[in-house]
Amino acid sequence: MLSRVAERVYWLARYLERVENTARLINVHTGLLMDLPRDVEIDWFTLVTIFDAEMFYHANFEQINENNVMQFLLAEPNNPISLLNSLSAVRENARTSLDILPEETWEQVNELYLLVKNEMAAISNRRRRQQLLLTIMERCQTVWGILVNHMSRNHAYHFMQTAKHLERADMTSRILEMTSLLMAENRSESMRAAEGILWTHLLRALSAQQMYTQTYSSSVNADGVLTFLIRDEAFPRSLFFSLKAIGRYLWPLPQAASTLEHHQKIMSEMFNENLKELPAEMIYTRMDELQAKLAELSSQISQKWFHPDRSVA
Amino acid sequence: MMQLWRDYDPGEFYDELMYDQHQPRHFSYKLLDYLKSMRKEAFAQRIVDSELEILERGITFTVYSDAGNIDRAWPFDIIPRIIPKGEWDCTEKGLVQRIRALNMFINDIYNDGNIIRDGLIPEDVVLQSKGYRPQCKGMQPAHGIWAHICGSDLVRDDSGTMYVLEDNLRVPSGVAYMLENRKTTKRVLPELFKLLHISPVNDYPSHLSAMLASLAPDDVSHPKMVLLTPGIYNSAYFEHAALAQQAGLILLEGADLTVGNDGYVYMKTIHGLERVDVIYRRIDDDFIDPLVFREDSTLGIPGIMQAWREGKVAIANAPGCGVADDKVIYAYVPAMIRYYLNEEPLLPNVPTWMCRDPHQLQHVLDNLPDLVVKPANESGGYGMLVGPHSSEEKIEEFRQLLIADPNNYIAQPTLKLSVSPTSCGDHIAPRHVDLRPFILSGKNNYVTPGGLTRVALVKGSLVVNSSQGGGSKDTWIVDDSHFGGLN
Repeated sequence: MLSRVAERVYWLARYLERVENTARLINVHTGLLMDLPRDVEIDWFTLVTIFDAEMFYHANFEQINENNVMQFLLAEPNNPISLLNSLSAVRENARTSLDILPEETWEQVNELYLLVKNEMAAISNRRRRQQLLLTIMERCQTVWGILVNHMSRNHAYHFMQTAKHLERADMTSRILEMTSLLMAENRSESMRAAEGILWTHLLRALSAQQMYTQTYSSSVNADGVLTFLIRDEAFPRSLFFSLKAIGRYLWPLPQAASTLEHHQKIMSEMFNENLKELPAEMIYTRMDELQAKLAELSSQISQKWFHPDRSVA
Repeated sequence: MMQLWRDYDPGEFYDELMYDQHQPRHFSYKLLDYLKSMRKEAFAQRIVDSELEILERGITFTVYSDAGNIDRAWPFDIIPRIIPKGEWDCTEKGLVQRIRALNMFINDIYNDGNIIRDGLIPEDVVLQSKGYRPQCKGMQPAHGIWAHICGSDLVRDDSGTMYVLEDNLRVPSGVAYMLENRKTTKRVLPELFKLLHISPVNDYPSHLSAMLASLAPDDVSHPKMVLLTPGIYNSAYFEHAALAQQAGLILLEGADLTVGNDGYVYMKTIHGLERVDVIYRRIDDDFIDPLVFREDSTLGIPGIMQAWREGKVAIANAPGCGVADDKVIYAYVPAMIRYYLNEEPLLPNVPTWMCRDPHQLQHVLDNLPDLVVKPANESGGYGMLVGPHSSEEKIEEFRQLLIADPNNYIAQPTLKLSVSPTSCGDHIAPRHVDLRPFILSGKNNYVTPGGLTRVALVKGSLVVNSSQGGGSKDTWIVDDSHFGGLN
């Protein structure tokens, strides 16, 4: 498999996962804000902080309001992680990998891109925006469906799955950062009153509510949610599951030993301590560290398989 | 839908589907009956469906213009063009005959030069061809074949005679669009395939793959085959990707390849370097190897020409094959067929005046307003004069060009190109068409049944090139042996 092609399908998969996760997070967050009283510490701008995009935001917008935040996260050309930019990256990578992906992949991706681009004018309308976000999630799942059901389990597939789980772990860790707000000692009374809704919100942002309920058959609480989203071995969006999957898909790649070692180190650092017992702000720090480690793993993958001829800086 | 056809009139032109204003040809009446039975709105809906299909499947080509490079949806007309199989069988034989002679010619001029020595073609005609590459002298590619993939342009005049207008031997494009056109027709007008038996075209990629495999160096049993593209900004990138996907070739760019110390060609993979045996290149000779041709080329692979000369890699089409893709050499093809094959040409050339000959030049200058003048080495319809459609200033401009550089031009009569019913907004009208079949030559020959029909969408226009506003049609070879009736 060509190094350049490996790089393209890797990023195709990362961006595809990012598009779906972004759509879901915004969709669920909109629902949450409808339920919350005005004076809680969570608002539209919380979304921007989840993506660590405060700087980009302030460079493009003065006011913080629903319209601007949505414009920024969905359509803004100057925001490198805006949904439309991510989707456009999916499309470019699909377009340049036509020869190794199932034929329908490109058609689906292209169709979705054209649809989203046309609908962007209407995102200030909350109803149409929510509808669009649902469509985006569905279509992303269609693309994954095609890939999973039509692709040989070759290296292209391994790179795509590695990328998907890496991106997913990154997103899960970002959403878990919100726990620092939810568990803060000095949180407001309104926030304490809305606890149930908020923890459910974390689950929903990761499509985890139903599986959580099946697993725990108890009410949603901080302990349960943290354990489920961090350590659950069966739920495909928990940190444990995603990180383990990264190892599984790295394993068949050529000369993977040193990368696997690196991956193993991330796993043990992450799961050898009991996160539940940490104070809230430490969870935030751990998640931040994890994101940095995942970024490092990604650049190691890039160096080993995509650009072996580039000298190590 | 009848009202769409009410004013249909091919006039003085040969119509591919009609004998005259009212009478469909014996092989097209089923198609036309079906189309005419549709309600106007239903027909319009099928057109919308086809446009959507093409847009969503991302079938595009790029137009290079002053306004930047624009990705355009592939222009497709849903009314197919039909050629009866009986006629097509003869055309196919003629195409194979022609490409055999052309390959023998290319092999001859880079080796023994018999045809020059025997006085059939002047040496300076060969040397003036922009595609001539002295670096290819003495080379003997597998099976003696240089032009493995040829896209000939065929046109019909008002008598219905099919002529060869050009032999595109360098990097002919369009075959993927032929495949896409058929897919679109199948999705948009599936009922039609019940009415008629239409020769399938979708096995082209497997023939391409088999042909390329037949070029691999002898010691290789499972050749690694790649398609070399200039990249995503090339106008035919969609085609490159589609062909690679369907023929099982690895799609790559020059930067993915390197020539090793052992002189073999390798691609850069996640396993390290892997040897490549056959390269289907879609970049021009000029750019293929900066050590041999254009030094400023960043698309090519330094050292690849040496690897090819040593037989360590096969390249299709072979470097240097463009020598025969020249409008002056074109005039000699019938002579080549007689010389190399000792056969009479089955497909005629368009009568051609060579401006290098002072008598013929005089004739051309005297009749410029009636003629088509073409530079020897341009493609895509650029830099040519269509006398009857040009202003006096334009004609004068060409007169000066011809006098200054007669060797670089040929002239031909303005053919009354055939027309075919084409949907033009609120009505069906006759529009001029040509045809580009694709001929594969390796160990064996293969000709696509039909090919890519291009149509000039503007009324009266003869320019069918998609880069200049032309459209395209699905092309059907239909078995007419059981139809009987008029012929």
